[in-house]
Amino acid sequence: MNYSIEAENLNLWYGDFQALIDVNLKIRDGQITSLIGPSGCGKSTLLRCFNRVNERYGNVTTHGKIEVLGKNIYDPDVSLPELRKAVGMVFQRPNPLPISVYENILFGLRIHSPMRSITRAESEEIVEEALTSVFLWEDLKDKLKVRATSLQLEQQQKLCIARLLPLKPKIILMDEPCSALDAKGTRAVEELMEVLAGSYTFLIVTHNMAQARRVSEECIFMFLGELIEHRETQALFEDPEHEKTADYVQMRYG
Amino acid sequence: MSTLLNDVYIVLLMSFLAILLGIVCAFYLEEWLPKTNWIRRLIESLLSVLTGIPSLLYGIVAIRIFFTDAGALKAIRIFPIPQNAAAAPLHDDSMLLYAGAATFIVMVMPVTIKTTQDALRSVGTPIREVTYALGASQWQVLTRQVVPLALKQILAGGCRAMSRAFATTALLLGIYTWHYTSEPKEMSNRFILFLGMALFLSILSSTLTEMDNSSN
Repeated sequence: MNYSIEAENLNLWYGDFQALIDVNLKIRDGQITSLIGPSGCGKSTLLRCFNRVNERYGNVTTHGKIEVLGKNIYDPDVSLPELRKAVGMVFQRPNPLPISVYENILFGLRIHSPMRSITRAESEEIVEEALTSVFLWEDLKDKLKVRATSLQLEQQQKLCIARLLPLKPKIILMDEPCSALDAKGTRAVEELMEVLAGSYTFLIVTHNMAQARRVSEECIFMFLGELIEHRETQALFEDPEHEKTADYVQMRYG
Repeated sequence: MSTLLNDVYIVLLMSFLAILLGIVCAFYLEEWLPKTNWIRRLIESLLSVLTGIPSLLYGIVAIRIFFTDAGALKAIRIFPIPQNAAAAPLHDDSMLLYAGAATFIVMVMPVTIKTTQDALRSVGTPIREVTYALGASQWQVLTRQVVPLALKQILAGGCRAMSRAFATTALLLGIYTWHYTSEPKEMSNRFILFLGMALFLSILSSTLTEMDNSSN
């Protein structure tokens, strides 16, 4: 079994506040891994380390080593565009760009390729392929010119996933992707993840323990910036090793 | 009539320069300097002071600077002056124009910077965040998302700043016309022209704002 992400002694500070303390983890290739823990425990912060979007907030200090796909992403010669191409991200609120559905899907590709290098036929094929793999093609094939922000939330979130696919990422990070969706939308996104897992490695932050249990093969429990337990989901929920994990998964706090 | 068009030409040229400069400054402040940078904070507080000053005070300061101090007068002679510059008297018509134009820039620029900053800020963090997360460079985030989304608001802000300056000038011209000038006809023509420009620009500005609102 290979690992897509390996972190060693990862420490992170926002100013004086230490948000991550000595995190060591290995994420398996082609699986869904979920990150759970109470609010403010650093799970979103950890997620944002893996494509280095953290740094944009300023005043962030990171120590330690993170290897993504076998390469340390804090090496000075790492190209951020290339890293973010390989590591896609889906956000808490569906955030399609305020342009058409069609252009949303092509946006990432256009950023990474020289001007006018994608022909019309190619782009049509790419859009159809991306939308088909998120089961949106039937719904949206007549609405490709519609502004993406006017779609239903569920469709928007699926579109946000579809938008990553033309870049052929290896890893998809999801920061509470279903918290803005209703039960039906949540179910649809979860099903989509199950279908796509295998071709992509998913790392998902969730507040919803039932969801972590349903979709993920491995589960990581974090508490106040520390990684407490990382095991197979079923084992973690049914037979937690640490007291804190047990308290959390049995909902004594959280 | 020719001096009349000359006025408008100079003012338009100057406001174009002022707005361009203002937009560049706003981009630098808003997109490159971090929020906590002390230079940015200093400049921003100075700008709020400048935007709050009534335009009449600009006029008074301009008269003090440009028409009583020969040294300062020379300083603005970077523009080509169609006469023997050294011999030009203080009330030379072209000097008047340049002095007016310089004041105009100082008056229009702070307002443009403020409105441009607001426009840039109105493009929310989620849009920037997702564009970065897709692997865009800062330049691509600006050119492909931020500028297209903020463009109408930026232009509307520029028009509003110009309209404000034209309206103030028209007001002063009006007062001047009715009290002092020996050629009331020409001065009132100017007054009407400036007022017309102000009205036109303010309509343009609100149209742009309206278009921006309806497209979002």
